[in-house]
Amino acid sequence: MTTAVQRPTLVRSSDRMIAGVCSGLADHLGWPVKLVRLGMILACFAGGAGVAFYAWLWTMVPTADENAKRNARRPASPIAPAVSLPPVPADSVGITTAPKTYDAGPVPAAFGGPSAAGGPGGSSATGGTTGPAGARPASGINASGDWWGGSALASWFSFRKIQYGKEILLGAALLLVAAILIARQFGVDVPLGTLIPAAAILGGAAIAWMQLDETRRAGLVDKTKADQAGGWVRLAAGLALVVAGVLVMVSGSGSWEQTWLALLASVAVLGGVALVLLPWGLKFWKDLESERAGRVRETERAEIAAHLHDSVLQTLALIQRRAGSEQDVVRLARAQERELRAWLFSDAAKEAGRLAERIKSIAAEVEDSHGHAVEVVTVGDTDMTDRHEALVQAAREAMLNAARHGGGTVSVYLESADGSAEIFIKDRGPGFNLDAVPDDRLGVKESIIGRMKRHGGTAVINSSSDGTEVRLALPSANADAGDQRNSEPARNSEPARNSEPMRNGEAKR
Amino acid sequence: MNNAPDNGAGRTVRVVIVDDHTIFRSGLKADLDARMDVVGEAGTVEQAIAVIVETRPEVVLLDVHLPGGLGGGGREVIAGSAALLGTTSFLALSVSDAAEDVVSVIRAGARGYVTKTISGKEISDAVMRVADGDAVFSPRLAGFVLDAFGTAPADIADDELDKLSARELEVMRLIARGYSYKEVAKELFISIKTVETHVSAVLRKLQLSSRHELTKWAAERRLL
Repeated sequence: MTTAVQRPTLVRSSDRMIAGVCSGLADHLGWPVKLVRLGMILACFAGGAGVAFYAWLWTMVPTADENAKRNARRPASPIAPAVSLPPVPADSVGITTAPKTYDAGPVPAAFGGPSAAGGPGGSSATGGTTGPAGARPASGINASGDWWGGSALASWFSFRKIQYGKEILLGAALLLVAAILIARQFGVDVPLGTLIPAAAILGGAAIAWMQLDETRRAGLVDKTKADQAGGWVRLAAGLALVVAGVLVMVSGSGSWEQTWLALLASVAVLGGVALVLLPWGLKFWKDLESERAGRVRETERAEIAAHLHDSVLQTLALIQRRAGSEQDVVRLARAQERELRAWLFSDAAKEAGRLAERIKSIAAEVEDSHGHAVEVVTVGDTDMTDRHEALVQAAREAMLNAARHGGGTVSVYLESADGSAEIFIKDRGPGFNLDAVPDDRLGVKESIIGRMKRHGGTAVINSSSDGTEVRLALPSANADAGDQRNSEPARNSEPARNSEPMRNGEAKR
Repeated sequence: MNNAPDNGAGRTVRVVIVDDHTIFRSGLKADLDARMDVVGEAGTVEQAIAVIVETRPEVVLLDVHLPGGLGGGGREVIAGSAALLGTTSFLALSVSDAAEDVVSVIRAGARGYVTKTISGKEISDAVMRVADGDAVFSPRLAGFVLDAFGTAPADIADDELDKLSARELEVMRLIARGYSYKEVAKELFISIKTVETHVSAVLRKLQLSSRHELTKWAAERRLL
């Protein structure tokens, strides 16, 4: 059933008397132009059917130029399927190709051609627009259309169902209209008063649904589960309610009983409309949601890309340029790792300005300036005060010393709670003798020990050939003097015991 | 930072390396010293479970983050090899020292963890220690334990799983300060074996404790 594909596209020809409709139609059908024009003129006398048909084709059929422009696209007009058919080479135009292709189907050459392509449009135009007066001349085409509809519909439908479903439905509906009109001509009583509103409502709903294009409709059907029984029931219920409601409204008049009925009907109508529109509302809401989510994702992605560009990519470039210096590479890699980790995992707003964060940033600074890894472990946290700032400065001095003289990884351990804090800074250097440090060297004696004492804390330095550990302790501000004295004698005892008395004291408070 | 146990010499430990980065696997293989015999490698959860069941190694070096399976990474590998937990020990490896990455595998049954930036000597020592049935704690894991269990020692009345004893607290504090097991032993005038016993006890508590902070922590990260 590929007859239509082989035929030249229906376009308005440039060889024209009025608008090129007849010559275009003749080309398309493979008929002599004169015959088509004569038929058209004759049809004009049959109640103006020819005029209507001509006008309709004039409006709906594009010129050859327009058609070329939108060649590869889907049919823009839902009721002119032929327009969208693939163009055929100019030399295959005409009657020579037509008979051969008709062999494939049961359609006679003379009528199969026009009806297959122009059937829905042609018959409906005449049947629908001319009314009783035009029914007889139109019946020729109608007959062919009906015939085609009866025999070839099934196979054609299965071929084109997805692509031209709504065109066929429209054609069938129009054929039905024509059939009803003919039936009236023969005196059959058709209840038009019931049929017209029903048809109007059905048509309205159909048109509303047709506005969605194929893919959206498929997505919508999928989303709203309309392909399942429930979906169809809902849709059918909606339509039934709409129809029933309108019919009751139309037929109702006068008494309060009928007013009550009308009210009921209005509610039913509204309910029905809501039911029909529900999938739309859902669909637009989902579209909106997914669009918003997409925008958020896009923004996040852009932010991440910008950050990676400014940090990781720059560092990688630097590493490539400094590939010769192992220390530089390690330093760059560690700094970048620290930065990336902070960006990925830390909650800046929550931790900013507290002791643990300060110690970590000081450690990072020391690590960057000296190239030795500084590992920080923190347990607990506390708010910063002036005294804690002194503690941080003392710890910084100790870290700098450890990085300068110690070598290897520097371990920093901070334990703090409720204003008290202890910091341990350990390196694995060769160690030094505190008493041998000359008095004019301010680093250890002034910056660490002196500073801690001035702020009510203690500093103990343990150094051996295995390394050096600086222990800084700062009791909470409201600690009484006894606690501080308590921690003093611990200076020379073992380190773990060093911290115990003070902690126990605090625990008892 | 961890010293080799004295009894580690003279025997080889069969090791399986599980990591999704081929470069890292080959680098680690080269770094491990002569006491280790790498009998298998794997790059995904499924491969890892298959290789572990097939080769039955003494120690599995297990990356915390692994593709495949149900997305559980190293935790899933341990769960999938649960039948072998008696004979096979797991040592978790992670790029990050963050407790978030590691505590889940520890609680699944790993005997400890090391960071990927660790030196070949240190990782070999850690493998030997795990092979001997001991636990490997890094300073940061010790810090996490102190954070989670609190720094106050357990009273007699407390459920012993939910608190650390005074001695365990001392050991954890020293490890958090960067002390090796040997240094801890020297500092506390106890033997290395005793230090290892304490650390193993802490590991057990970390794995089994239903302490509020731990369960809350795990629930927040959907590890339960």
